[in-house]
Amino acid sequence: MTPPYDPGDVVEVVRAPEPGGVGGAYRAFGETLRGLKTTFKRFVEKPVTVEYPEEKYPVYPRFRGRHKLHRFEDTGLEKCVGCSLCAAACPADCIRVVAAENDPEHRVSAGERYAAVYEINLSRCIFCGYCEVACPFDAITMGHDYELSDYDRSDLIFTKEMLLAEPLERTPLRREGE
Amino acid sequence: MPRPEIKMITFSIDGREVQAPENTMLVDAAKYGDVEIPVFCYEPKLGQPVGACRMCLVEIEGIPKLQTACSTPVKDGMVVHTQTQRVHEAQEAVVEFLLLNHPLDCPVCDKGGECPLQDISFGWGGGRSRFVEPKRHFQKPLELSPLIAIDRERCILCYRCVRYSQEVSEDYQLVLQERGAASYVATFDGHPYVAPFSGNIVELCPVGALTSKPYRFRARPWDIEGAGTVCTMCPGQCNVTLTVRDDRVLRVLARDHEEVDDGWLCDRGRFAYQSFHVDERITSPLVRVDGELRPVPWDHALDVAADALKRAGGAVGALAGGGTTNEEGFLLQRIAREALGSPHLDSQRAPVDRRSLLAIGDPGLQATVPDIEYAHAVLVLDTEPVDEMAILDLRIRKGVRRRRVRLAVASARPSALDGNAALSVRFAPGGGPAFAAELVAAARGEAASDDARAVVDLLRGAGEDVVIVASERVGAALAALADALGLRDRDGAGLIVVPSSANGRGLREVGVLPDAGPGLAPVARPGLHAAEMARAGAEGELTAFWLHGVDPLRDLPYRERWEQALDRATDVIAHAAFLTEGIREHATVVFPVEAYAEKDGTLTHPDGRLQRVRPGIGLQGRNRYGWQVLADLGRRLGLELRVLTAGMALAEVAAAVPFYAGLTQDEIGGRGIRWQEREAASAYPRPEGLPDLAAPTVREGAGLRLGTFRSIWASPEVEHSPALRFLVPRQRVEMAPADADRLGLGDGQRVVVSANGSRVEATVTLRHAVPAGSVFLQDGLVRDAANTLTGSVVEIRPAVTSEVAG
Ligand code: SF4
Ligand code: SF4
Ligand code: SF4
Ligand code: SF4
Ligand code: FES
Repeated sequence: MTPPYDPGDVVEVVRAPEPGGVGGAYRAFGETLRGLKTTFKRFVEKPVTVEYPEEKYPVYPRFRGRHKLHRFEDTGLEKCVGCSLCAAACPADCIRVVAAENDPEHRVSAGERYAAVYEINLSRCIFCGYCEVACPFDAITMGHDYELSDYDRSDLIFTKEMLLAEPLERTPLRREGE
Repeated sequence: MPRPEIKMITFSIDGREVQAPENTMLVDAAKYGDVEIPVFCYEPKLGQPVGACRMCLVEIEGIPKLQTACSTPVKDGMVVHTQTQRVHEAQEAVVEFLLLNHPLDCPVCDKGGECPLQDISFGWGGGRSRFVEPKRHFQKPLELSPLIAIDRERCILCYRCVRYSQEVSEDYQLVLQERGAASYVATFDGHPYVAPFSGNIVELCPVGALTSKPYRFRARPWDIEGAGTVCTMCPGQCNVTLTVRDDRVLRVLARDHEEVDDGWLCDRGRFAYQSFHVDERITSPLVRVDGELRPVPWDHALDVAADALKRAGGAVGALAGGGTTNEEGFLLQRIAREALGSPHLDSQRAPVDRRSLLAIGDPGLQATVPDIEYAHAVLVLDTEPVDEMAILDLRIRKGVRRRRVRLAVASARPSALDGNAALSVRFAPGGGPAFAAELVAAARGEAASDDARAVVDLLRGAGEDVVIVASERVGAALAALADALGLRDRDGAGLIVVPSSANGRGLREVGVLPDAGPGLAPVARPGLHAAEMARAGAEGELTAFWLHGVDPLRDLPYRERWEQALDRATDVIAHAAFLTEGIREHATVVFPVEAYAEKDGTLTHPDGRLQRVRPGIGLQGRNRYGWQVLADLGRRLGLELRVLTAGMALAEVAAAVPFYAGLTQDEIGGRGIRWQEREAASAYPRPEGLPDLAAPTVREGAGLRLGTFRSIWASPEVEHSPALRFLVPRQRVEMAPADADRLGLGDGQRVVVSANGSRVEATVTLRHAVPAGSVFLQDGLVRDAANTLTGSVVEIRPAVTSEVAG
């Protein structure tokens, strides 16, 4: 059968050496022994896996996990002013911000506006951290939490309250030199 | 002034030879060579440039200093540079200066993301400030009006808003107070800036200093989509772009169309979108069960309505108004005429017969909207543009101010344009047709009153191009007047006839008239017009009414008669958006009507331009398209209708109206098309002469003559828009101080106005411009509307306190 296209050039087929002989014996046992060497070397080392989920894998401090929204420590006001810049920066288009005007009597944030709705759809988020970079008020940062599985997709839409809540910080950080 | 001729010249910009029209400003001329020069204060719509911001500096060979490109007209052979070191340094310096006192609070600023100051700082600024002193501070945010918030710290003092108020809308309210860096924008006496066109300054402001209160913080440019359509709240039919987020309209912006709106909107058009998303809107079909309107499934409502219409047959009176599209109007009249055998159809407030309509709609007599601006003279006859076709008000002002158009105003009620008019004459309320007949006589050199002669002399003296902006109710005399002034077949001259509803022209051209079918064709058996329908209904001759976008108690004269008619009618089928009184009390079946943001169809502008209304949001609630509802009804009544899309509905219209022949949605497109400019216009029926022009003279009585008008704010959309509610008018009686003195009344006093035993309560408003003997009341109000009165001669006496309700 002619090939459906013109290969253009001579195609050279490289074949393996014929079985048997010294080469054959080496291929049968030599490589196996080499593999076994690695096996036995690791056999005496401590395991690198951890007993997840009883034990958590530690992450680097700059690890980008589930987001957190922040409040001012002194006033308790939300840092987020609902400017929607994070939503503009987000390449996955998974942030939804609906802003509203602050009532001077019951302030939510420090500025004129605040985020009445702030949602991140974590099933879409690619954890790039652009939102954190875009935020002019350091209102949103990437946390360390990576345990984000759930039974229902809609439960992965995190609301402002969820993002503001002090997270159960379940993730250990890697220590210096670890 | 007639349109100037445009001469092209050649100049050089950044080393390229570019052709541009002579005397355009360099900023605009540069665009012919694809060169962008940054501007803040330059806005050609505002008239002459002022050169306030200095952002547009360029280098011109032969002139030692940098020049402002926005105020330097381009000349042949000019050599311009925009990319030299000097220009760059100047631009960076200007940006640095503009930002000295600017708070740079973009994250909380509503303009962020669509802000020319952001864009220009980014594109042309140096990115650095050497200013370490404290910035200027103002209290913020403040209300400039209930519709507009002002943040004075952000203002870059470009003068745009002030120029707009002074030179475009001419309400003369905004000024710059103080001097230098302490300057700020304010109304001259600190009162809120309330005017019919105030919202335009929000769109003009190049920074976030002026922001719309209803839109405040609702969305960012990347959260929204724009949807182009046409406002259907008045015959102006301004082109708009809806800002849509999450299937809700959050803002309305002008979609600049020189031939229609010149890029402005009135505040009703700009802010009444709020009424699209209120709970009071009807979003499901309703049927009256045990005296109460209850939501029902569509099929049930359609069955009930079809049965009712079938039962009444030829005794159905059908009315169309409001934002009813051509397609809806056409289907309505087809069903009424063909399926029900009823000729009783109307879309006009005051009856004008077919022959007159034929004559005043003649393509040879039509002016276009821009003609107003370029005419020698404009006559405003028996209409108040700001109330009846708001956007024309700005166009007429522009013509007078910038092109020295001579303006004559002839009306019963003092007009907002009187200040711009070279001549204003008053006639008795209801005397429009009679005065027009006198104008015809004067124009023909026959005996006429002094006023009429003065108007005609003024028009003739100004030049040949005369545009007459007149209310539809003036009727046949308009055609005679245009002919007598020699306007037939003159480019740049003619009539603009303001109809009584937003699509009045379209509705009459598709045949929603008692005596004319589609294309103004004669009908074998003419029906009753609206006022006669009311009488016939009250006397039991008509047993069912079919109301499309009209609430007779609200929108039509003779309220008392209509009340009896609707009361007596067995069935009242209404297509409505809100349960206004007549619908709430009398309708037996109510079909929801889409807001214009949901509608799909076409309208005909008073100057003949067909425009498309296109859906920007999905149908709300359980709404259906109006053409779809009518087609379903038609099928239930046994009509063969091949209407499955709005486009097919338009095809039906185009097939039935000879001078719309072949129109498609694609041809109309986003900018519309005037049918007079298409080939099919030659199919317009020949005018068949005019009826007798001798209009009934207004009866002189012992009392005061009553004139009525409908304010721009008297509409359900305004009542249901929270932001506009403060503008909802209450009844007041406008009268001359002399009359008030005679009756012992003072300004602001509560009075009872009565005629033939009917009465309304009102507050006295003294206006020096009101001619003695006339008083004016408003129509279209929820309470105490003028159409409650049954006579045109009224008596006024002080209200006894106990009589004043609420
Ligand atoms: S981390 Fe990236 S993808 Fe996730 S929300 Fe932020 S910007 Fe969007
Ligand atoms: S988190 Fe930051 S960027 Fe996002 S809306 Fe709030 S303030 Fe703006
Ligand atoms: S408020 Fe806006 S439009 Fe008015 S002068 Fe200031 S920057 Fe210009
Ligand atoms: S002038 Fe008329 S058409 Fe234009 S925006 Fe106002 S209401 Fe709408
Ligand atoms: S745009 Fe030329 S000075 Fe402002």
